[in-house]
Amino acid sequence: MSDWYRDFANSGLGTTITRQLGLPRPAVLRRYEPGQPLLTGPGLVGAAGEGRLRDVVSGVLAAAGVRVDGGTDDERLSAVVLDATGLTGPAQLAAVHELLAPAVRRLGPSARVLVLAEPPADAPTVAQAAARQALEGLVRSVAKELRNGATANLVLVPSDAEAALASPLRFFLSGRSAYVDGQVLTLAAAEVPAGDDPDRPLVGKVAVVTGAARGIGAAIARVMARDGAHVVAVDVPAAGESLAQVANAVGGTAVALDLTAPDAGPRLARQLQARHGGLDVVVHNAGITRDKLLVNMDADRWNAVMAVNLQAQLDVTQALLDADGVLRPGARVVSVSSQSGIAGNRGQTNYAASKAGIIGMVRAWAPEFAARGATINAVAPGFIVTEMTATMPLGTREVGSRINSLQQGGLPVDVAETIAWLAQPGSAGVNGQVVRVCGQSVLGA
Amino acid sequence: MVRTVLSETPALPALFARATLSARGRGGDLPDTRLAREGVVADPAQLAGYARVCRFPLGDTLPVTFPHLLAFPLQVALMADRAFPLALPGLVHVRNRIEAVRSIGVGEALDLEVWAERFARHRGGATVDLRASVSAGGEEVWRGRSTYLARGAQAPEGAPDADVDVEVGVLDRIAAQWQVHDDAGRRYAKVSGDVNPIHLSGLTAKAFGFKRAIAHGMWVKARALAALSGRLPDAVDVDVAFRKPLLLPSTVLLATEQVEGGWDLAVRNASAGTEHLLGTVRARR
Amino acid sequence: MPAQFRKAAIVGGNRIPFARANGAYARAGNQDMLTATLDGLVARFGLQGQTVGEVAAGAVLKHSRDFNLTRESVLGSRLSAATPSYDVQQACGTGLETAVLVANKIALGQIECGIAGGVDTASDAPIAVNEDLRRMLISLGSAKTVQQRLKALSGIRPGQLLPEVPRNVEPRTGLSMGEHAAITAREWEIGREEQDQLALRSHQNLAAAYDRGFFDDLVTPFLGLTRDDNLRPDTSLEKLATLRPVFGAGESATMTAGNSTPLTDGASAVLLASDEWAAAHDLPVLAHLVDAQTAAVDHVHGGEGLLMAPVHAVPVLLARNGLTLQDFDFYEVHEAFASTVLATLRAWENPGYCKERLGLDTPLGPIDRSRLNVHGSSLATGHPFAATGGRIVATLAKTLSEAGPGKRGLISVCAAGGQGVVAVLES
Repeated sequence: MSDWYRDFANSGLGTTITRQLGLPRPAVLRRYEPGQPLLTGPGLVGAAGEGRLRDVVSGVLAAAGVRVDGGTDDERLSAVVLDATGLTGPAQLAAVHELLAPAVRRLGPSARVLVLAEPPADAPTVAQAAARQALEGLVRSVAKELRNGATANLVLVPSDAEAALASPLRFFLSGRSAYVDGQVLTLAAAEVPAGDDPDRPLVGKVAVVTGAARGIGAAIARVMARDGAHVVAVDVPAAGESLAQVANAVGGTAVALDLTAPDAGPRLARQLQARHGGLDVVVHNAGITRDKLLVNMDADRWNAVMAVNLQAQLDVTQALLDADGVLRPGARVVSVSSQSGIAGNRGQTNYAASKAGIIGMVRAWAPEFAARGATINAVAPGFIVTEMTATMPLGTREVGSRINSLQQGGLPVDVAETIAWLAQPGSAGVNGQVVRVCGQSVLGA
Repeated sequence: MVRTVLSETPALPALFARATLSARGRGGDLPDTRLAREGVVADPAQLAGYARVCRFPLGDTLPVTFPHLLAFPLQVALMADRAFPLALPGLVHVRNRIEAVRSIGVGEALDLEVWAERFARHRGGATVDLRASVSAGGEEVWRGRSTYLARGAQAPEGAPDADVDVEVGVLDRIAAQWQVHDDAGRRYAKVSGDVNPIHLSGLTAKAFGFKRAIAHGMWVKARALAALSGRLPDAVDVDVAFRKPLLLPSTVLLATEQVEGGWDLAVRNASAGTEHLLGTVRARR
Repeated sequence: MPAQFRKAAIVGGNRIPFARANGAYARAGNQDMLTATLDGLVARFGLQGQTVGEVAAGAVLKHSRDFNLTRESVLGSRLSAATPSYDVQQACGTGLETAVLVANKIALGQIECGIAGGVDTASDAPIAVNEDLRRMLISLGSAKTVQQRLKALSGIRPGQLLPEVPRNVEPRTGLSMGEHAAITAREWEIGREEQDQLALRSHQNLAAAYDRGFFDDLVTPFLGLTRDDNLRPDTSLEKLATLRPVFGAGESATMTAGNSTPLTDGASAVLLASDEWAAAHDLPVLAHLVDAQTAAVDHVHGGEGLLMAPVHAVPVLLARNGLTLQDFDFYEVHEAFASTVLATLRAWENPGYCKERLGLDTPLGPIDRSRLNVHGSSLATGHPFAATGGRIVATLAKTLSEAGPGKRGLISVCAAGGQGVVAVLES
């Protein structure tokens, strides 16, 4: 499933042709590999006003061995981190512009622009709220202007959530967030355990991945296992053959289970308790599509999609919450939503409803999870290139894969990296969030 | 009595040919002649082939029916001779008795002696017994008696009545079913040397009045005994009557029944129930 | 030498769905199926890269190239290559016999865990060249000179080029297993309808077990097949009654394709271990293999039915364990043919037979039929000879485990050659 157009556009002849014709020139994205440095070149850390996060940021970058001196003028920047927590009003936005404009000009391939600010809702004055909100428009626009695989994102850090910043900071700067662009993430105060091994952040964790037999689920299982988790790969009994292959490839355990069965949750809880002494991570990835225009949609299609995509997630999660001691302290639940759930999609009323429902679910459950020291989040993939999209008509596929700021489809591993990040112990301050993995798709933006 | 010791085993095809050419004009009484060979050792290759065709396990002793193969060419030589009163073509093997005194090792040097006796009256003609005695180291270890029926032939004045029947008990339990293929005669001929044309092909069998080729009686007997491998004592008497010819190909059933001192056997056609062989196997006391 | 024995635990099992011959697995060989089955077991219990004490498995129909079938399958699997393995062949008893062998080594403390299994394919059965051609080819291979080779080649006859397909017949009797079973059915006067009834229940029980997810952790799909494709959930007595008898002849012929097992491809494996090993690996103990017994009968000359050996083995096993035939919560009697199961039960109920053949003063008596093959058996799943034992052991172990602690089950498997393997499992 190579991106033929991206490959062409990056070839010698292709570069000339696409440049002359003004065609999109999708970049080869820098994706995470174990042992990879956080950034390839120097970074620049700046502040608008009296920022309070400078020390945290510098600490994280220094620990990752990143030069934060901004390099020399002829050096390409790998990242610009702008601490805008000191914004007092719109006037100071000029400082943001002043700092970003020259820096963006110097950005290298797959570089990162990350703006840190406080949530507008927390602002003590209207002017501050306006200034903070303005950053969203700024970042989303910068993201659209960036080329060559660079991304721009905004992280809102409440005043009591500084400790939660390290893990999101590393994620957004690293190759793990290759296809996460133009997003706004809001952190919450949380107790963050110290000392994640950045290369094996999930060591000792037991992670259930549903729908793990193929596609995005299999990629999630691989990435979680790579990050050190023991993966319990769950899929329907009929998918058992490829499920066993995935489990064996990642050194995990295969569990064939129909999640819509009435006793699926308790069964899973019992097995996790008996075989693994509980679990740390649940990734609700299992999902089906039964597309039809609403007027042609029969009850079976509607009910099947709702049962698998939404009800099973509610029931299984509740069963795990109810089962004493199964969800270990610091548990992480990550649900796979969809761009369709945010933007809607023709022919997918059932699917989009279920995926929007997931967003409602994680937001509503977030406080209860926070109270347990746990988190629940959703990831909403955009156009992800899988075996399924490979069978789409060429036109639909090409349009789907180009209408985003990175001008290409994402890969299953991009979704998996985001989920694995949310599953990290260090991501304790990310709760009730929906992280889009869509390359800043124009749909639902 | 004239006793001739042959220096080598006579070639059976030539004997059959000679016997056929000299079939006419025979008569008179049985010749008082004995043919013998000394120091005969079983050919391991022939033994292996025989064991395979009859389904005996191949081991270091001879199957109980094997000495018959050694003596048979001498018996045919006796019958092919002009002095023998009955024409060889058309003779039907109707009964075969073996008395094995002990088992015979594969490498043992055997002395063979054959003769004919007991010219007897039969309602369909006359019978004659071809005898064989096998000795090792001067001790008789094996005796054979093959009774042949010559249809339409006349036994001499004062001849006894033929004795061709074997009494068996009730045999209604099937031990085995055999698919006997149409090459069964040729396969057995190859390992036994018994190239009597009635066994070789439908065409040659027709020439002698059979609808189809027929299986060798001694093969049927051998295979039935092989089915009892491991259950027979070394010293054993085996007495079988060959009833209706087993036409090739056929599916037949072997019935066995354990009785006091041994086994009773029957081989019958699977569909028609025609009896091909009835026999008794008894431990020698 | 360990001071005392310990009972081996059955941790779980895995099998691929069984496929009717020349169907879903037509292109798969024994090694393919056994490897996939082992890999499914590895995935279920997280055994990747682990060395287990041993893997014992086998096939009834085996190519000569598969002389080391189990070892080669282990080498191709996700188990550690340091796992020792060997082949066993006891006809349809193979699967249960391997479980007994592995359990015995665990009981003796020689190993801590092991995998027992079996596989068979009727689709990829070995076809031999004609015996004469084979011998000719052997002599050709050993010929040294051109003359010798020409002489060897001159022995070829057109008829020899016809291959010899293995026939499902007993070598010593020339009768197929079905014909043998038909003789037994006639002797015991087993009726057509009771056979069809048994077959119907087998299909219904298997279908119900699949529907409630019973096999979710016992079966791993293979080559697109997710359930045993011999299963006919919607069959009925009426449909079964329309089938024509295929074994036996005349009025007394009662055995049809519906109440006999078809030729089947498939594989199964069972994970056994000591309690300590299971606990150390956080693995469940479904049941323990308490004891086992093998028996053989003289089906050639002895007047006993080919598939009646389990009838002889069970009283020995019961006596040794101080049990009666009624002391079981579940019975797994392998359904080679419906008539075999019924003849087995009838023999145990028959005072004359029990006295004369089994030497028992009182018959073993009847069993509660509602406890028999409660999750279906070979009539519904099909019967890939060596794989059936493993299917039954895992199925019964899970059945007992579901029923709760202290439950007891009896396994009875008849095998070609007049043999039978029986075993007691306890949760």
